[in-house]
Amino acid sequence: MSDPREPIIRFDHASFGFPGLIALSDISLTIYEGEFLGVIGPNGSGKTTLCRAVLGLLAPVQGHLHIFDCACDKLRCYHRAKIGYLPQKGVVDRNFPVTVLETVMMGRYGALGLFKRPGRTDHAIALEALTQVGMEAHKDDALGLLSGGQQQRVFIARALAQQPKVLILDEPTTGLDITAQHNVIELVQHLHDQLKLTVLLITHDINMIRSRVDRLVLLKTKLFAAAPPADVLKPEILHQVYGKELVITENDLVIVEDYHHHH
Amino acid sequence: MLDLLAYDFMQRSLLAAAMVGGLCSIIGVFVVLRGLAFVGAGTSHAAFAGVALGYLMGWPPLLLALVFGLATVWITGWVEEKGRMKLDVSIGILYTTTMALGILFIGLMKTYNAEVYGYLFGSVLSVTPEELRIIGALSILVLGLILLFAKELYFIAFDQEMAEASGVPARQIFFLLLTLVALTVVVSLKTVGAILVFAMILIPASTAYQLTHSLRTLTLYSATIGISTSVAGVLISAIWDVPSGPAIVLLATSIFFISLFFSPKRVKRTGAAHAH
Repeated sequence: MSDPREPIIRFDHASFGFPGLIALSDISLTIYEGEFLGVIGPNGSGKTTLCRAVLGLLAPVQGHLHIFDCACDKLRCYHRAKIGYLPQKGVVDRNFPVTVLETVMMGRYGALGLFKRPGRTDHAIALEALTQVGMEAHKDDALGLLSGGQQQRVFIARALAQQPKVLILDEPTTGLDITAQHNVIELVQHLHDQLKLTVLLITHDINMIRSRVDRLVLLKTKLFAAAPPADVLKPEILHQVYGKELVITENDLVIVEDYHHHH
Repeated sequence: MLDLLAYDFMQRSLLAAAMVGGLCSIIGVFVVLRGLAFVGAGTSHAAFAGVALGYLMGWPPLLLALVFGLATVWITGWVEEKGRMKLDVSIGILYTTTMALGILFIGLMKTYNAEVYGYLFGSVLSVTPEELRIIGALSILVLGLILLFAKELYFIAFDQEMAEASGVPARQIFFLLLTLVALTVVVSLKTVGAILVFAMILIPASTAYQLTHSLRTLTLYSATIGISTSVAGVLISAIWDVPSGPAIVLLATSIFFISLFFSPKRVKRTGAAHAH
């Protein structure tokens, strides 16, 4: 692939998991700076594993993983603070007594390092991140009292406060109503365009992201495709991963075929 | 009451109560937020087993309390990290095992030893100047470490995996927190005793939890409640001649129940319920 952009993440025949229980096997994938990638695949296909690997939470059991200029075959790489992460919803206790600004400030902690207290600059960066997601008016509100969509914005702001080069979002729209889903995806697109962030967006909603991403990464334990949406969303490719029930309609929507209507 | 304050023993016990109350309530913030409530209970019983072994063998009881306490929290942390079983199960097992050891050690002693029971129930009014110095030194150590790593401790209490993902050495900070819990329990053994120290850790932070949505305010409220109930408890104990440990804990518990009624979180929920 001849791409003028810098490769920033490179999987080289990398496998992840435990011996006897491989979650992702033999992945070779290069991600370029400024790319917007959609990561799709069925439940348990290794999408979250891929993200955890990029975050440095998992070392490859075989092969290599290079992030920025670092061969991250061991954990605890310095690069973590440069990768913003929005975990799947439900990980965090919603009644936790924390304000919006306190939550976003946490994004500064990794970058600051031990023994250093957040100062005026960090405060300004956190406020800027809140402005970027349109939540600056809520800075002193309790996180637990916000709506699901607003909380997701705050968590995205926390990731932005790390001043990341890469933004990873793990199913950011799960559990949100249809408008909030749209708004979150719009925001991600906007941040990608404005801040030139490399974005890895894990989702089940292929139709919502297909017109926005540069490439779709299709996983099911192995890498089935990493190409522009038009090249991935073809019956012969999708059927390998999702089974034959998946069909593509005339107006390019990916849907599950309902056998009752046809037989 | 002013006469009482003139006595050396009274000044010592008020100072000890203030330090232990402050220390427990501040570490309690992280214990409550990180969901380690039961770990506090397990650690205090383990520490008591250490005290019993100390008296049985003629070794320094507080040192053995520390060894037992640290072993318990580290094993608990390790088990949680490995994901072998739920935290409450592993601590439940260690809790009862160390309690069994404690009873065994007491049973092996040929004579009745009232001092051992002092560690079970605590006796803040009999704190010696030397014990006060140990409490002071350990309190400064624990509080200093909390201050030094405050931002990391808050982050792992909120979301340990997120902290790890954003470059905070979350595993090490988690073990530091467990170590600080064990140290706090040992510091508090002589004054409030193994059974009640758990309450000193949990109640002020849980009370503060009802009253605020901010981490910073939570810590401030918790420390204020911890110190004031401890000092007031000692005064009540001296004036009405009741045991100091229960006086402190029951006072704190009353404030906790009052806070439940006045909690802004409760008001919000009721308001939301009416809206539907």
